[in-house]
Amino acid sequence: MTAFNEMLLASFTTPMHVDTNPVSMLWLLPLLVSFVVVYKATKVYKIRPYPFIRESAVLFGSILAFIIVIALVLYGVTWIMTDQLPALLNKSAF
Amino acid sequence: MAQSWKDNHALYLVTIGLLAWLMPGAGHIMLNDRRRAAVIGVTIILTFLVGLYLGSIGVIDPVGAKPWYVAQIMNSPVVFLLGRLSATGSFPVYGRPNEIGQIYTSTAGLLNLLCIVNAIHMAHMRVTERTDD
Repeated sequence: MTAFNEMLLASFTTPMHVDTNPVSMLWLLPLLVSFVVVYKATKVYKIRPYPFIRESAVLFGSILAFIIVIALVLYGVTWIMTDQLPALLNKSAF
Repeated sequence: MAQSWKDNHALYLVTIGLLAWLMPGAGHIMLNDRRRAAVIGVTIILTFLVGLYLGSIGVIDPVGAKPWYVAQIMNSPVVFLLGRLSATGSFPVYGRPNEIGQIYTSTAGLLNLLCIVNAIHMAHMRVTERTDD
């Protein structure tokens, strides 16, 4: 077996190093592209390059915008629950 | 006159579904929709391979992660062979690479399921349109 084949096989038998930090969330972007492309491929009547790319880009942007909005809302809820609410509950109402 | 095998409606649809499962996009190739087949095939195979590259073939775990495995096997019967290989426990994977690898490979499988259903639906519509004419 050639060195290239061995390297190729080894890359599929050893996991990559992925940090557990917020940047690792960017791995959702290629998955979103794949989702959008396959979904659009099953929906359009005929695949023509320019309209297909345009429609896929619009769907990609819409889903990404929605994900960002949801992330901000969840971040806000977490901020209220962990930072603001404990301080309010410790304060006396009188 | 001998009937074309396409005239056996159920058999035709099952064949299209099986081909689409054997190889992503193959169902659409049978329907002469080569451009759609290429888009589907390349995207699904690439997504699956990215998942395997990230987490290794250990992300296909028919013992410890059955629900993920059910989604992964929708990619192709090849997943079954990879599952047997990883069931030996020689490819351990934990943490974030495992999570992301499982998500990628399972999503690829579910997308292929969508394409299988789409190919069967298209085949059905073509046969019924031809029968109506």
